Amino acid sequence: MAWLETEVLIVGGGVLGTAVARELSRYRVDVALVEKEVDFGWGSTKANMCIVCQGADALEFRPEYRRSRLVWDSVPLMEPLCRELDVPFRRIGELTLIRNSEEMAKYQKLKGRAEKVGFDRLRFIGRDELFEMEPHLNRNVVGALYNPDIAVVDPVRLAIALAENARENGVKTFLETEVEGITSKGEEFEVQTTQGLVKSRFIVNAAGLQVDRVARFLGADDFVLYPVKGYIGVLDKNVGELVRHEIHMRPEAPGQMNILCPSVYGNPFFGIVMCLARKGDNSITRRMMDIALVNLRKILPEVSEREVIHSFAGFMMFRNWELGWHECVVQPSRKVPRFINVCIGYPGVSAAPATAKEVVRLLEQEGLKLEENPHFNPSRKAPPVFSELPESEQEELIRKEPRYGHVICRCETVTEAEVIEAIRRGATTLDGVKFRTRAGMGRCQGGYCTPRVVKILARELGISEKEVTKKGKGSPVLLYRSKELLSGADT
Amino acid sequence: MKEERIICIGCPMGCRVTLEVDERGEVVGFKGNRCKEGKEYVLEEYRNPVRVLTTTLPVEGGGTLPVRTDRPIPKGKMREGVRALAKLRVRPPVSLGDVILEDLLGTGANVVATAALRERR
Amino acid sequence: MAQTLEVDVAVIGAGPAGMAAAARAKEAGASRVLLIERQEQLGGLLHQCIHNGFGLFYFGEDLTGPEYAHRFAERVMDLGVEVMLETMVTRLSPEREITAVSKEGVFRIRAKSVVLAMGCRERTRDQVQIPGSRPAGIFTAGTAQRMVNVEGLLPGRRIVILGSGDVGMIMARRLLLEGAEVLAVVEILPYVGGLIRNEVQCLHDFQVPLFLEHTVTKVHGERRVEAVTIARVDRSTREPLPGTERTIECDTLLLSVGLIPENELSRMAGVLLDPLTGGAVVDESRQSSVPGIFAGGNVLHVHDLVDNVSSEAEIAGEGAARFAQGIEEGGEGIAIRPGEGIRYVVPQRIRGRQPVTLYLRVKDMAEGVRVRVGDIWERKFRVVKPSEMLKVELSTDELSRIEGRELLVELER
Repeated sequence: MAWLETEVLIVGGGVLGTAVARELSRYRVDVALVEKEVDFGWGSTKANMCIVCQGADALEFRPEYRRSRLVWDSVPLMEPLCRELDVPFRRIGELTLIRNSEEMAKYQKLKGRAEKVGFDRLRFIGRDELFEMEPHLNRNVVGALYNPDIAVVDPVRLAIALAENARENGVKTFLETEVEGITSKGEEFEVQTTQGLVKSRFIVNAAGLQVDRVARFLGADDFVLYPVKGYIGVLDKNVGELVRHEIHMRPEAPGQMNILCPSVYGNPFFGIVMCLARKGDNSITRRMMDIALVNLRKILPEVSEREVIHSFAGFMMFRNWELGWHECVVQPSRKVPRFINVCIGYPGVSAAPATAKEVVRLLEQEGLKLEENPHFNPSRKAPPVFSELPESEQEELIRKEPRYGHVICRCETVTEAEVIEAIRRGATTLDGVKFRTRAGMGRCQGGYCTPRVVKILARELGISEKEVTKKGKGSPVLLYRSKELLSGADT
Repeated sequence: MKEERIICIGCPMGCRVTLEVDERGEVVGFKGNRCKEGKEYVLEEYRNPVRVLTTTLPVEGGGTLPVRTDRPIPKGKMREGVRALAKLRVRPPVSLGDVILEDLLGTGANVVATAALRERR
Repeated sequence: MAQTLEVDVAVIGAGPAGMAAAARAKEAGASRVLLIERQEQLGGLLHQCIHNGFGLFYFGEDLTGPEYAHRFAERVMDLGVEVMLETMVTRLSPEREITAVSKEGVFRIRAKSVVLAMGCRERTRDQVQIPGSRPAGIFTAGTAQRMVNVEGLLPGRRIVILGSGDVGMIMARRLLLEGAEVLAVVEILPYVGGLIRNEVQCLHDFQVPLFLEHTVTKVHGERRVEAVTIARVDRSTREPLPGTERTIECDTLLLSVGLIPENELSRMAGVLLDPLTGGAVVDESRQSSVPGIFAGGNVLHVHDLVDNVSSEAEIAGEGAARFAQGIEEGGEGIAIRPGEGIRYVVPQRIRGRQPVTLYLRVKDMAEGVRVRVGDIWERKFRVVKPSEMLKVELSTDELSRIEGRELLVELER
């Protein structure tokens, strides 16, 4: 007896998996999505610079890369998608700094290639215009290549919104459900998960860091992936007032990118310092922090390390690392029918909209019957974000629900009602609340709000405070009650 | 003849004072202090080191009540003191200064509330 | 429509600074004084400071934090100060218009003068660049203090504390008395960061292993802290020395690595901040660069004794009350600057008509030094430490001897 039977099983609830789920929900198909973490988007989706790009730097507008096509096809889709799903999208533009004639020549070539594939909005700007656009920039530059179309999003909120919309349109989603084995049984797969057995005709393997492992369960292992870890730092919102566009400078050494980018909320991100790493080792080293800061100061000389409020490491799964930027894997397995591998590597967020459509096309190719879902509703409404509302709407909200007037995160002005709403919509952990409301993402990094969020989680979930975790099993926040260590017989 | 080392906390100097003590525990030698107030503190600290004990007690229904000993108790009884309090539960209402436990470990110090607790609504 | 209020003096924050400022503002003649607090009760952080050592100077008694808070809360209520609790100030304009949010709605408060008393926040992990993983079990010491003392929950049982500031040492004792093990207090400087009293009564009393000139170089554990690596640091560069690492298995890392005055609202109001203190540039009545906006307590500069927080905030409260009543303060400005060996001086400018107390901190620990204030004041000190604030009281007579527009405060060995 199977715990679940479905037509399409999506493994992985990051931005790619949830985008596929939502795309499939346009059709009358039985879809289930399983995600091993306690919330959506906790793999590579949450650990990047949130940039929606056109693939200029990595892919250099080369049409021969399949990944380029997926990114370009996504470009016109991302903003409308974000509007439909009521998630942030902020067009900030990108400035690629030029320091000398060698760089100038390189970017001339890039602009040429862009124009060849239809991107004609890149333009060169000189020093004067550049410093007017970015008055705090290091003066050590001669100009920049300007791309007005680059944008930033909140990838985790996007993944959550995609999942919510997919669910509304009939997809079943399961968190804390990890795939432990897959066998092929004729016309269907039997998938062992931590929740039970799933039977499915098709599998979409969008498991991010584990995409090769999931494929290997079946011997559908057609590719070799190298985990590349990248350090990214987050700066205080005060630094956000010093930069308006994404700023990109050619790095000094391989294994680095030098990017400074505002986020949708105002904290700029900087990075990325990369190294090959063991999967699951998200630790950052002093060396990575130091290099990233040195690089940052080449763009914005006035930043001190005291203005770094948070650091993290994200993983990119690159194929054939030593041969340079390379193809992604969005294709049916060559060995196993009805099994689609989805791995972009970089830039996953940017490529998600078109990749989702491509995966649906591939599923159809593999035999999935697609009949339109007449009840498909593309719109999803986000929960209210108190701090972004005009005063009259804030008043209105508080009148209806007074806990919108109880601010529990000072730095980001997040209210108790928003935390409760996040929990009602699926947050069960401190980090879950953090990614859905921003409580804990401000300059005090949870110093004020953590005790309050723990209390609210315990109350709303009907659990004791000791059971509240930071990010799921094995990560409890508070281990003992006061006096518990003294009451034992051995003390 | 033994040596006892005590840090004076009278001022930021933090003089490291060495006491020479005979078999009966009497102080026979004294060196390291730089003022006479410090000497008095150190002698008292040697003869009778005492500390105010502060802790919290769980309140029935949730929350904590901060408490203190109303006078300092021997330094050596601090850990035993908290253990003696470990099983207590407090029920509101409580007024500031209410005695929660009399004569902690026979020291003569009472454990009193340092905050008020309203009746549970 | 936001509810509007017009008050004479609005005080933001009802901790030891805010309560003192509001009480004194009332005593100094302001008629409508409003005290705005984000927590559910008056007292601010005093409620989580259940230990004693408060009020030794202000009251001549050895009180715990809650007891100290009670004295001021009574005074505030007896004086008829209006109080808004569970109310968060979200905006402050240079024209002294406050936007505040509570369960009762959005409020617009127009004040004739404002006292900033928002206190401090704690320095965080990434601001001190601690490498490693990001598991559960890392807390700043103050947040842990709230968990233990207010929520009744312990962060863990095998604790390592980075930083020997007062909060860290107090938490070491607190957790030990709860039955936890404090495996190490790790301090980057060659001496303890907080008061001697705490070093003795929190660390020595309990034989806590103290690692001076060390720092944490890595956190281990993916889900929950499993260990930290510490290493000795170079005396001059304070960088970790390779080969000196040792790993301590633990389940909790507490950070007591510094306090930062919480000046978001001040910035919004255009208040000029002093990079040396992290707080506003003020004159002796604690008025900032924006007329009618005053500041006192930890939001102005980080104090070590709550008694001084209250005394200073009273100066600000009095100044705010006088401003609200339209009392003009005359006098030219004299700038007070920190010179050799001095980290900062508050106030940063004075009019020099009234006796004034200068609050200052030195840059490094030193023995047998002389502190000089221009040509008008000097005194020998047996020992000075960055962690113990010095007070210099200048009389009208001394002030009358000031020549020129600047006073330099210096340390002489």
